[in-house]
Amino acid sequence: MAAGVWIVTRSVNEVMTLAAKAARGAGAPPAQAAQFGAAAAVHLGAGREIDPLEQALAALPEGPVILLPLALMRIAEQGQGGHISGTVTDADPALLQSYLEALPYAARLADGGLVELDLSRPSARPRLTRIALPDHLFDDWNRLAARLLVPESEASRLSGAGAGLSDND
Amino acid sequence: MRLSRMGAMFPTRLSFLRSLIRRLAAERAEVTQHMWQMCEDGFGHAVFSVDLGGHTYSLVAVSTDLPEDMRTDRVIATAWDTAYVLFDGVPDASDIDRIAANAPLQEAGRFGPKDLILSRANKSVRLFSHVTERLRAGGQPDADMIRDVGYLMRTTAVYGNGKFGIADRAAYDTRPGLEGPFAAEMLTVWLIRHFTHALAEHVGQGVLDPALKRHLGIGNSTGLGMAPFLVTHPVLLNNWMTARETALARVRALPRIGPHQITRLGTLAQRATAHLAQWNVPDAQHQARIEKLRSDWEKAKPLLAPDLLRKDVPLDHVMEACAGMTVDVQELMVALLIEPFGELVDDLAADMADPYGAFAPPLPDTKALRTRIEADFGWALGADYAAAAQCGQFWYVSEAKMEPRLGLRFSEEGAALESPLDIARRVQAAHADLPAVSEPVSAFLSRHPEHALAVERVGLSARYPYAEIRDNLIAESCLPIDMLRCKLSFFGASKFDPKSDRWTRITLCQGAPLATELDAEADDWWLPVFGS
Repeated sequence: MAAGVWIVTRSVNEVMTLAAKAARGAGAPPAQAAQFGAAAAVHLGAGREIDPLEQALAALPEGPVILLPLALMRIAEQGQGGHISGTVTDADPALLQSYLEALPYAARLADGGLVELDLSRPSARPRLTRIALPDHLFDDWNRLAARLLVPESEASRLSGAGAGLSDND
Repeated sequence: MRLSRMGAMFPTRLSFLRSLIRRLAAERAEVTQHMWQMCEDGFGHAVFSVDLGGHTYSLVAVSTDLPEDMRTDRVIATAWDTAYVLFDGVPDASDIDRIAANAPLQEAGRFGPKDLILSRANKSVRLFSHVTERLRAGGQPDADMIRDVGYLMRTTAVYGNGKFGIADRAAYDTRPGLEGPFAAEMLTVWLIRHFTHALAEHVGQGVLDPALKRHLGIGNSTGLGMAPFLVTHPVLLNNWMTARETALARVRALPRIGPHQITRLGTLAQRATAHLAQWNVPDAQHQARIEKLRSDWEKAKPLLAPDLLRKDVPLDHVMEACAGMTVDVQELMVALLIEPFGELVDDLAADMADPYGAFAPPLPDTKALRTRIEADFGWALGADYAAAAQCGQFWYVSEAKMEPRLGLRFSEEGAALESPLDIARRVQAAHADLPAVSEPVSAFLSRHPEHALAVERVGLSARYPYAEIRDNLIAESCLPIDMLRCKLSFFGASKFDPKSDRWTRITLCQGAPLATELDAEADDWWLPVFGS
């Protein structure tokens, strides 16, 4: 990096939150959108290809954002409280890996889509560093996220926090 | 935990500011002035540094000349009297230049991984002017004004955890002293308070009396933006409440307490009386509530008489006797009873963070899901959420600054874009759709993906018993101010001054030790009283 050049990177929380909002804006229910946000941050933080993320959002309200959590749940619900494994088919391996790493318990992806889960104890997510989110992805996700925003109205302005009070006191 | 109780909470010794100050005092931390470039009117920038847990943190403060017509505490503001960044380390000249250019822009600025916290504050113009004029005249400010206002500036936002490009909390949440929830934010607030004192003394060209200075905390205006946090962070809410309830359970279980503790409880009861007497707010409804609490507290205080406290399990008896009193009295008593027992409860502060996220392995089938809903969410199942009274409000995110808002469903636009804070309604809807014959939860959700959030929250309930606010947050009767008070009390706020049912002013760090007072006595500032 040249001296004095300020490289714009984004915090993990920024990316995770934006990805989740984008998923909601694209039609995902809130829980699945949040899971996608966590997985997307892991995915980008690990430097994986962005195509599976774009394809997942484009497939909403169907596709991996809905199906991957269900596939992992099918495995987990058979192994109450302990170790369990099962196969996830028809999933992009990189995206599946990101979903696994975003889980709050230990998970591993072996050959052939074999998923191994340890439900016995919590496990921290990977400690990610900054994320260089490609500009076009940032713009696309913001556009999707904006679908959730409610424009200001006279009523909302009048009832908003702090409305109608002098702050020169 | 019900909204009405959350809306009556007081700070305790487990509040985050208290934990932070204890840590700073244990380390005998010293605040040093690294830079001070201010014109005589107090505009420019300054850097204060402090060592904590083996790391150096610096507050970079930027003070600007703000026209009166631009001074607003609302989140839609675009300019402030002062702006701040808590910097990781000691900033060099280029860091300071960058922060001085970006911090005044706040949300419109851009920040990096060395910037830990971003904040801004506006002056209490009346008090700041009064203090500086008195100092310039060689005197001290009017004590009554210090007591009544209580701060020179009030923050209107304290951003952490990656907002606008600042560092993620994960970047520092294992560092000694910053492991606790909002610890970096609280360190920032305490340093901002230090800066406001220094700025007033600079402009006034005099030195404030330490007793007056100690009572000058930092104000804060908090609105709806804070309320959804408690719903979207159920594990944190659980951990905060669990620590508090465990602390209470520990003191209630004490078989006997000693003479020193009996005396201490009496002293604190008197302090509470004095604090309540100094707590006055402009809002007539809330002032009436404070006045009732003053009166009710006098009736509760005899429960702390020495002869009663010399009996077996005395603090359990106190809480039992409080059961028929108002929730305001009960919550004040809870905070008081915990206060003298630091050795017994302070370790609980270490478990108030959330290092893992929501760890709740899926329920196996819909039979288990139904059982769990009916056991833990009975409070959510009875309401008619189609009735106006039960769904009259909706949470949403406003296009302006992308901040959470609360709208009226039947008179405002936007309900179609509602934010998912309606946990009670969602759990009832999921319960209603459960099949008669049990099946795997994954099969249920494959037909009803819209119920995934409800299923997730129900799954959390076994492991995190305090994760849910057990009220309907879209009911006409829901008062966001209750959620704000709960969260702010965990920060360590006092002197709640509600301006409506959706925003409040508070005071932080009032009575907290100054930077020169971090010693063994530094922790004794629960419910501060001016002039004591």
